[in-house]
Amino acid sequence: MSSTDEKPALRHRLLSVVIYAFFALFLLLPIAFILSGGFFSSTHEFTTAYLKLVFTDPVLLRGLLNSAMIAVSVTLLTVAVSLPMAIITVRYSFTGRNLLSGLLLAPLILPPFVGAIGVRFLLGRLGPLSALLGMAGGAGFDWLGHARFVGVVLLEALSLYPVMLLNLQAALANIDPAMEQAAANLGASRGTIFRRITLPLIRPGLFAGATIVLIWSFTELGTPLMFDIQKVTPVQVFYGLTEVATSPMPYALVVVVLLASTVLYLIGKLVLGRPIDAATTKASTAWSPRKVTGRKAFFPALPVIIVAILAILPHIMVVLTSLTATGAWYRSVLPQHLTTNHFVQALTDELAVPSVFNSVKYATLATAVAVLMGLSCAIIIVRSTLRTRGVLDALSMLPLAVPGLVMAFGYLALSVELKVYWKAMPVWLDVQEQPMIWLVIAYAMRRLPYVVRSAVAGLQQTPRDLELAAANLGAGRARVLARITVPLIAANLIAGAMLAFSFALLEVSDSLVLAQKAAAYPITRAIYDLAQKLGDGLYIASALGVWAMVLLALTVLATNSLLGRKLGAIFRI
Amino acid sequence: VIFALVLVAPVIVRHAMGVGASPAGHAPAGVPTLVVINPHNQDIRREFAAVFSQWHQKHYGTPANLDYRNVGGSSDIIRALQSLYEANRDKTTKQLPPQSQIDVPYDVAWGGGDYTFNKLKGFGILVPLDAGIVKAAIPIQSLSGVELYSYESPGSDHIVWAGVCLSSFGIVYNPDLLKSIEIPEPTRWDDLTAAALHGRIALADPSHSGSAGVAYMMVLQRAMADAEMGMKNYTRWQELSKAKADKTRDPEFKRLDSEHDKALAAGWKTGMGRLLLIAANARYFTDSAERVPTDVGNGDAAEGMAIDFYGRMEQSIVGDSRARFIAPANATAVTPDPVGILYGAKHSELARHFVEFLLSPEAQLLWIKKAGTPGGPVRQSLGRPPIRPEMYADQIDWSDRVNPYADAARFNQRGAWMAMLGDVTKLWAASWIDDRDELQSAYQRILAVPDASRRQMLLDKLANIPFELSDLNKAAAERKKLAADKKNDMTFWEAKLRRDWADKFRAFYQSLADEAGKN
Repeated sequence: MSSTDEKPALRHRLLSVVIYAFFALFLLLPIAFILSGGFFSSTHEFTTAYLKLVFTDPVLLRGLLNSAMIAVSVTLLTVAVSLPMAIITVRYSFTGRNLLSGLLLAPLILPPFVGAIGVRFLLGRLGPLSALLGMAGGAGFDWLGHARFVGVVLLEALSLYPVMLLNLQAALANIDPAMEQAAANLGASRGTIFRRITLPLIRPGLFAGATIVLIWSFTELGTPLMFDIQKVTPVQVFYGLTEVATSPMPYALVVVVLLASTVLYLIGKLVLGRPIDAATTKASTAWSPRKVTGRKAFFPALPVIIVAILAILPHIMVVLTSLTATGAWYRSVLPQHLTTNHFVQALTDELAVPSVFNSVKYATLATAVAVLMGLSCAIIIVRSTLRTRGVLDALSMLPLAVPGLVMAFGYLALSVELKVYWKAMPVWLDVQEQPMIWLVIAYAMRRLPYVVRSAVAGLQQTPRDLELAAANLGAGRARVLARITVPLIAANLIAGAMLAFSFALLEVSDSLVLAQKAAAYPITRAIYDLAQKLGDGLYIASALGVWAMVLLALTVLATNSLLGRKLGAIFRI
Repeated sequence: VIFALVLVAPVIVRHAMGVGASPAGHAPAGVPTLVVINPHNQDIRREFAAVFSQWHQKHYGTPANLDYRNVGGSSDIIRALQSLYEANRDKTTKQLPPQSQIDVPYDVAWGGGDYTFNKLKGFGILVPLDAGIVKAAIPIQSLSGVELYSYESPGSDHIVWAGVCLSSFGIVYNPDLLKSIEIPEPTRWDDLTAAALHGRIALADPSHSGSAGVAYMMVLQRAMADAEMGMKNYTRWQELSKAKADKTRDPEFKRLDSEHDKALAAGWKTGMGRLLLIAANARYFTDSAERVPTDVGNGDAAEGMAIDFYGRMEQSIVGDSRARFIAPANATAVTPDPVGILYGAKHSELARHFVEFLLSPEAQLLWIKKAGTPGGPVRQSLGRPPIRPEMYADQIDWSDRVNPYADAARFNQRGAWMAMLGDVTKLWAASWIDDRDELQSAYQRILAVPDASRRQMLLDKLANIPFELSDLNKAAAERKKLAADKKNDMTFWEAKLRRDWADKFRAFYQSLADEAGKN
């Protein structure tokens, strides 16, 4: 970077104070609550014995190993799927490309644990897959019983690859075509260009995507829970949380998760995240995709079609489940009786209807908080000369390393503890009465890293010279920010905000811990409660899931249309 | 255009709300609201909320709202309430502040079984109910030794919890699937140990679902009762024990009592071994007890252990051919599902009305009448036997013809034996769930042994667990001793205990796997 020896600007200092206060209050304090449980005995003495116990307990060790294996497999699989998809959708133009690119993002609109309801139906012993293969007549085949681990990896990769894809597409679209053309002119083969030019230039996008996917799948709770896999660390923490009154182990386990995630993050950063020369990468002209027509269009289209079909399979299953008469999908490929009753019930259910309103409210507020804080963080990290900006970078990634469940538990502890010391605490701070503020903070904090990553990637690819030029021409700081910086990285910000909103709407673990009062349930909590219910519960949960899907699809389409060509040109949706 | 599209969603919602039945859980502001912590499912919550509001209007002149709080299963409720009140206790005297000064978010605990409520009673966080109302509804205090309502302490006349309906435990199975795999329909707990059921049994994790723990306890208690009755001089021991004979003075009683202890220990081990074989057959351990009947009805599992009304609900939903519930004869407990008012409840007046309502004939019939019949639930039959004995007289429009008062006549759970549930649950968690992979690999290798008699020999070895009742008692005694000294870190000790137990069983499974591998 060119500006390392400049003096830090006052406005950066002030901004960083605000940011640090935010992190101290809502990130570090709750974590401190948890950590103190891991390092202090019930008699308030410091001890590392609990931590040692984690590393000498074969069950917990296996959990860590399994989680790490799932994380690595999922990340490799998402790269393997996303890289070709990104190249095809950015570089080629063929009939149906827009539709297929849209379908590729379908997993973004389905909560993974709702998808799991559909997949569980699909892979039931006497379910549709068994029936399709003619195995459901007799004893059936227990797909899930035989390949639980593979199932989890596939489902997680299937629901997480869009994160990687969006980042790679943005990075690919940002490459100045002149770079590759120059290399081609100099006689480089296509393979060489990809290896020597393209791959290094999309490294920030690859890093952003891989970090998110790696740490997410390492701490994913909903999917293994739905598949009844107990020996992964997040589930062990989740089960441990309910034993929190009697056991220090969940606390110690969280300390280990924090450590492991930080190490994963640092490795990722060292291998993929070395800074690149920013001034050369923002495209001054856009790529014009290569048109492929007729029979030739088949070659780029085929892999996209295959991935798109796999991607929407859980959606199809959830839609079919929501239309199946209770219990009528048994030993058959398709449901034996269809009904729309579950939708009527979902729309009149005393849990479902308010939960949708609640979720939209929480997610909107959370997105606003996340974008504001995320942009501020990114500016400090990329543009300021503050010595502590590396700390802030790590701090803003910390929520990725902490399972949402643990953060939520920290908030719960914080609220309850506050109440003990502050008798006149306003009711909106009482998580048991009005969880809104805590849910909004939890959602915002959980998704902050995405916004920060996106904004940082955008800023790194945006030449500082443009801002300096505007400033030279007499524009004030605010004007530069509003007219130059934000518009230039708008695509990255919108990508971050979209992810933040969708995932806030789909957030499972925070919602499960923080929302105990039925009237304040967000949609995921309502779905979870319904899915546990005997009888028509799964079907009503699916109906609510379908509804959430429609809502999210509309949101994504609306964002896309509002920003129209800008988003389209970069993401090629 | 897109804006319009986005706007459509809320319009649909509003429209739906307009045509939908007015949801009972959301009474307008100003209506008295009772906060209930409970583990029940949505069907029970919805049906009772609606009828309670009408009942309250009729008897007390205003509608009333139920605000349900869900923290998980009954084991989770125990933990949540324990830590809630723990935080409010005086640091040195361990006393709770006066009721008016304590800030508790819940008024009433409802549901979770008698084991849960005896725990809550032990914490001292249940306040007396109106004894007249309880006694009028439940004329007998105990059913074959199981309390239907409970006093604060022996000799006290404060009733702190009262059952509102009855539960029993049994096997839910899928007859259609059993036919396909040529396994006879089960009648006894023992039938679940058949190796042909490997990977086909649905079980709930007892450390989350209290009801699952009680169900497993029935297998254990049946085995202990069998061993006790198989004792040579059982009747004589009973006589002496009833006469409160003194062991130190009466050599005969001393000898018989030690024989009795031995018999119980042997029965305990038999029961634990039987349970281990059932656990080895498990497809998974779910943390939601409702998953068990659902998966049996779907055909994902062939049999499962479940609480009666979950089994019956599944039966009514998917039909007799795919789900049937049986309570093994003379081997299941009939226990109450109670309600209690919490210490420091902010709406104690309304809480008392709620208890009165739950024991009223209207609420009692709501448990068992068919959905859609007069006085029955609106949407879903609940299939739970009421606690008022006189309800069993006619049974008009009932969803299930049951009479637990008759079923419980010969065998019921014993309070004294229930005390070990906490530690036994920990042992189950360590040996079945923590060591699940090792158990599975040992079991699979044993089942792969071609020679039938050698296979049976190894299965018998597997059922002969490396753990005695005395080990369990030793751990409990050590806990008691250590806990007396405030300096000891009991949380660490508890975590280490479970790990040590898991280590012990892991070594056991591995040695059996090695032995089975040598073909």
